[in-house]
Amino acid sequence: MQFLLRVSGLIDALNERIGKLVYWAVLASVIVSTVNASLRYSINVASNAWLELQWYLFDAVFLLCSGYTLLKNEHIRIDIVAGRFSRRTQTWIDIIGTVFFLLPMAIAIMWMSWPVFMDSWIEQESSSNAGGLIRWPVKLLIPVGFFLLSIQGISELIKRVAFLRGLIPDPAAKQHSHGAPPPEAEAGV
Amino acid sequence: MEQFIIANMAPLMFVALIFVLLFGYPVAFGLAFNGLFWGLIGIHYGLLTTDLLQALPQRVFGIMANDTLLAIPFFTFMGLILERSGMAEDLLDTIGQLFGPMRGGLAYAVIFVGALLAATTGVVAASVISMGLISLPIMLRYGYDRRLAAGVIAASGTLAQIIPPSLVLIVMADQLGRSVGDMYAGAFIPGIMLACLYAGYVLIVTITKPDAAPALPIEARALRGWKLLGRVLFSLIPPLVLIFLVLGTIFLGIATPTEGGAMGASGALILALINRRLDWKLLRQALDTTAKLSSFVIFILVGSTVFSLVFRGVNGDLWVEHLLTSLPGGQIGFLIVVNLLSFVLAFFLDFFELAFIVIPLLGPVAEKLGINLIWFGVLLGVNMQTSFMHPPFGFALFYLRSVAPDREFIDKITGKLTKGVTTAQIYWGAIPFVVIQLIMVALVILFPQMVLHSLETTNVDINKIQIEMPADEGGGNPSESDIEKEMEQDMPTAPSDDNQRK
Repeated sequence: MQFLLRVSGLIDALNERIGKLVYWAVLASVIVSTVNASLRYSINVASNAWLELQWYLFDAVFLLCSGYTLLKNEHIRIDIVAGRFSRRTQTWIDIIGTVFFLLPMAIAIMWMSWPVFMDSWIEQESSSNAGGLIRWPVKLLIPVGFFLLSIQGISELIKRVAFLRGLIPDPAAKQHSHGAPPPEAEAGV
Repeated sequence: MEQFIIANMAPLMFVALIFVLLFGYPVAFGLAFNGLFWGLIGIHYGLLTTDLLQALPQRVFGIMANDTLLAIPFFTFMGLILERSGMAEDLLDTIGQLFGPMRGGLAYAVIFVGALLAATTGVVAASVISMGLISLPIMLRYGYDRRLAAGVIAASGTLAQIIPPSLVLIVMADQLGRSVGDMYAGAFIPGIMLACLYAGYVLIVTITKPDAAPALPIEARALRGWKLLGRVLFSLIPPLVLIFLVLGTIFLGIATPTEGGAMGASGALILALINRRLDWKLLRQALDTTAKLSSFVIFILVGSTVFSLVFRGVNGDLWVEHLLTSLPGGQIGFLIVVNLLSFVLAFFLDFFELAFIVIPLLGPVAEKLGINLIWFGVLLGVNMQTSFMHPPFGFALFYLRSVAPDREFIDKITGKLTKGVTTAQIYWGAIPFVVIQLIMVALVILFPQMVLHSLETTNVDINKIQIEMPADEGGGNPSESDIEKEMEQDMPTAPSDDNQRK
């Protein structure tokens, strides 16, 4: 178990790193998009490559941060029912959810999206827009994003089991969900 | 058993969906799992082919290449920067001073600023939290009725849902296959009207119960005369500039919502820089929250895409359509049922879940019944706004609860022991505003012109956009049509909702 907890710690550290690095792409995307818009209306210059870069950056954010978001327990859940259960029961819900919902679905999509990336890589597929970007990097983001999500799922699983065995404190102590958003996390709309 | 499953795949899927959602595990993964699970069962019984599931990566890619969704992080980021850099505080302070001498003045100030913030940020949490932090203590200090104070703050905060550039309208437009600009134009008048109705309610309260909303005493009015006027102008300029930058350019047809959002976000950064309130910590926090929000929102969309791919595969859309078109009363019967349904669902689901799961099912039926989808979207928008302030699950109420004092406290200015706000008071305070909200739903149903009028006047501009910049808006987007081509090739079996967009 100690070994597994070390693995979990490594995965957490990895996704924390990636999350904190990738969120700068939000800023990059804002800047690229602003410059695109300004140039288009001021001197009527538009480049498909730069337009596509906007959503490439955004895709990197939401896919690569999915593991980080799971680590911070910020994927929205409905806990009207579950919120009334004890912490132990909620931990069981997380374990069952991870094993039966998250992992099969994340691994399946990772599996299915890999050949799509390979095709794009082999053909050196590029955007059908004039001057558009090459496609494989953004297609690679799908399997990588779901891989990061899967390993974070495994890490959460290890932490939940360790908690049930009394080895570590509650990993989800600061639950962010439909029930009680903490004041500092204004994530909702 | 086998026969039963084959004959009732769609209803069974739907029941399983409800179970999975209420299970308490993150919705996005439950949705995707539910889709895959029934997809495999469908393949096992020969109802579906494996081609359908192989279309999945393309579907995910379709979401990734959707330009419109970029507006979500942009507006969120902009709202966070504005909130954290204190623009909302300045506004509330000053407008409170301006309206303060009037009976009910602080309540009007909250509504006014709520509408103004709504028009700049589109983020409910930001509005409710800043108004709860700033106005609530002042209202409590000078003896406002606690229920009125809580209700008016929660309700004004939710205006961000319906007044453009709301995230709700972006998602709604995307899911209904209409342009975000049209959706904004349609929601504008109902949004402003709602703010007026709130103000009307405050007026009635000040007449019937003058003690519930007293005017500020003279010693609380720090600013007067020219100095006040100067402050008002000065604090109004930044939001007005941003409103023009964001909404003006979108309404005039100069910018797409995505561009408007990017300009707004840059504008917010520049304003925060000018006011010397931008530091690395603030920037990092805003980026962090934006990234996580984008991730969970888009993952719900990914999950619901997996679900609806399979649901359509087993003709679930036909099942829903059959259920809803067989309702008595045609259009009106449909609208009443749909509104009741989303009102009740909104107790359990929050907006993103409703929009991504329910709207794609309802949209095609509404269109078939000859209902204008912009009107339909705005109507549902007002309806769902109600869910944000409906006790006991409304998000706005939670946000307010998180910043309102819940026990007695010593007031900083007067030094008096002041009572806190109980959760029951927050709930009771929200109820009159929920009623106003329902009146508004009825008004939108009775007077569709309220929404559609603005649409007709902006039509010219929309056409102009298409000519001027074929790269965006209304179907000319090259990157999007490129994806559609890819999709058409890759998934002949699945009727793609993306194809209906045009």
